[in-house]
Amino acid sequence: MIGLHGVGRQVKPGKALVLFAALCVSAALCRAAVGAEAFITDQSGDEVSVLDLGLKHVVARIPVTGKPAGIAMARDGRTAYVTSPEGKYVSVIDTASRQITAKIAIPDTPLGIAADPSGGFIYVAGFYQPRLYKIDLAAAAIVATVEVGASPSGVALSPDGALIVTADRDDDQISIIDAKSFTRKSTVKVGAHPFGVTIDAQGARAYAANVESNDVSVVDLKEAKLLGTVAVGKRPYAVALAKGRGFSTDQYGGTVSVFDLATLKPVKRISVGDYPEGIETSADGNSVYVVNWFSNEVWAINAETLAVTAKMPVGDGPRAFGTFLRETL
Amino acid sequence: MAGTFEKSLRIGIAIVALALPQAGWAHGPSRQKVTESIVIDAPPAKVWAAIADFHDMSWLPGIVKTTGAGGNEPDTATRQLTLDNGATIDESLYKYDAGEMSYSYRIDNVDVKVLPVNNYSSTIAVLPAEGGKSTVEWRGAFYRGYPNNDPPPELNDEAAIKAVTAVYHKGLESLKKKVEAGK
Repeated sequence: MIGLHGVGRQVKPGKALVLFAALCVSAALCRAAVGAEAFITDQSGDEVSVLDLGLKHVVARIPVTGKPAGIAMARDGRTAYVTSPEGKYVSVIDTASRQITAKIAIPDTPLGIAADPSGGFIYVAGFYQPRLYKIDLAAAAIVATVEVGASPSGVALSPDGALIVTADRDDDQISIIDAKSFTRKSTVKVGAHPFGVTIDAQGARAYAANVESNDVSVVDLKEAKLLGTVAVGKRPYAVALAKGRGFSTDQYGGTVSVFDLATLKPVKRISVGDYPEGIETSADGNSVYVVNWFSNEVWAINAETLAVTAKMPVGDGPRAFGTFLRETL
Repeated sequence: MAGTFEKSLRIGIAIVALALPQAGWAHGPSRQKVTESIVIDAPPAKVWAAIADFHDMSWLPGIVKTTGAGGNEPDTATRQLTLDNGATIDESLYKYDAGEMSYSYRIDNVDVKVLPVNNYSSTIAVLPAEGGKSTVEWRGAFYRGYPNNDPPPELNDEAAIKAVTAVYHKGLESLKKKVEAGK
C-alpha cells in the first residue's frame, strides 16, 4: 500500500487508476489499490466530511445534527457510528451510500464511542451520569449499562473485543471493563484529566492522553497497572500508534508528539495545524492522520519519516474523536 | 468603553441566583471558536511592538491595569487584567514567538459574570498584508459559561461567541487607531 500510495501522490488521478489496474495482479494488491477514506465529524459545521485519502479532498458531506464529535468505524468499514453530544443520539451511517440509516437515542450526552469487532454492538459513554452503555445494533437499543468514573471521554476496545477501556476524565483514571459480562474489572489512576484512550494491536497496553498534565499514561491492561508516563506537548487529546511509536495530538502545542513505545522516550515533535484533536493510523500502519480542529484540516504524517505528506481541508470544527478511517472495498 | 464586560456583568448578576456549580474544567460538550482580524496601515514590526509585551494590555478598551510577572516567557508569565468595573481576569502565557509575531495565552480564572466562557485559550498574531500593511488576527477557543446541559440563554454557546467576538472587535479597532495615530 505504501508504494501504491506513493504512486498515487505523484500522478494525476486518472493515471493513478491505470497504474492501480496494472498493479492489480493479486487480491492483496487490488484491495490496497481501492483506497481509503476518512469520516470526519465537523462539529461546528453539523456534518460529517468524507475525505478521500487518495484524491486528498472531500468527496461527500453528510449532514449530521447535534454537534457531532465522536466516531467509531465498524471493522469492515461499512458503517460509521457518530455521537451527537448536543442531540443526545448516535447516527448510524452507511459509509458507501453516505446515508444515515438509523438514529439511536442516548439518555445522556454521548461523546466517546467504540464499535465491537463482531458488528453486533457499540459502546457509548454518557458524559454526565456517568455510564457506559452497550447498544445492540440489531435492536437499536441499550441492553446493558455499567457505572464508570466521572466524565468518561474516550472509549477504546481491545482488538478481540473482550476489553473496553474508558478514560474517566474528571477522576484521573481509566476504567477497564469486561465486555462480555459488562462489569468493571478495575480502575487505574493515570495523569490529570485523561481524554482520548487507545489500545494497542496486541490488546496489551492502553495509552491515555492527559489533557492537564501534558503527558501520556501507559497502562498494562492485564495487570491493570501504570507502566510509565511520557511527557508530550501541551493539552494532549488523543494517541495513535504506528511503527513502534506513539503519536499524541497536542491541542495547545499545535504539535504531534512522537515517542518510542519501547523506551517511552520522546522522539520528535511535529508542527501541525491549530488545535489538533482526532488522530488515527492507516490500516497499513504507514500513515498517521491528524485532524486539526481550529484550522479545519486533516494532515497526513508518514509514520516512518515523520514528514507531513498532505494537508487536506475539511468542514468546520473537525474533531473525529475515535476511529474514523476505512478502506474502501 | 468596556461595554461588553459591563453588560456581561449585569447579565451575570441576574443569573447568580441559579447557584452555578463551580465550573473548574467542566464544560459543555461543544467547544466554540472565534477569529477576528483587522488590517492596520503600518508595518508588521510596528504593530507587533504595540502588543508584544504580554504585560501591557493598555490597547484593549476597558482594561485599566495589567499586573503580573515572568516577562514574555511561556509557561512562566502570568498577568492579571483589571477592568474598569473592578473585575479581574487571570491569564497565563503558553506560547510566545517574536519571530512569528505571535503569542498564545489562556484564561486561568475569570468569573462567568465577567466573560461567559470556560476553558478559554487564545492566540494573537501579526501577519504581513499587501502594501506594507499588517493584518492582526485574534483567535479564541472556549466553551460556554454554563458547564452542563441546557444552559440559560445568558451562558449558552451564542452568548459566549458574542462576548468574545465583541472583545476582539473592540480590541482590534482600538489597536488600529492607536498604531495608525503613531502613538
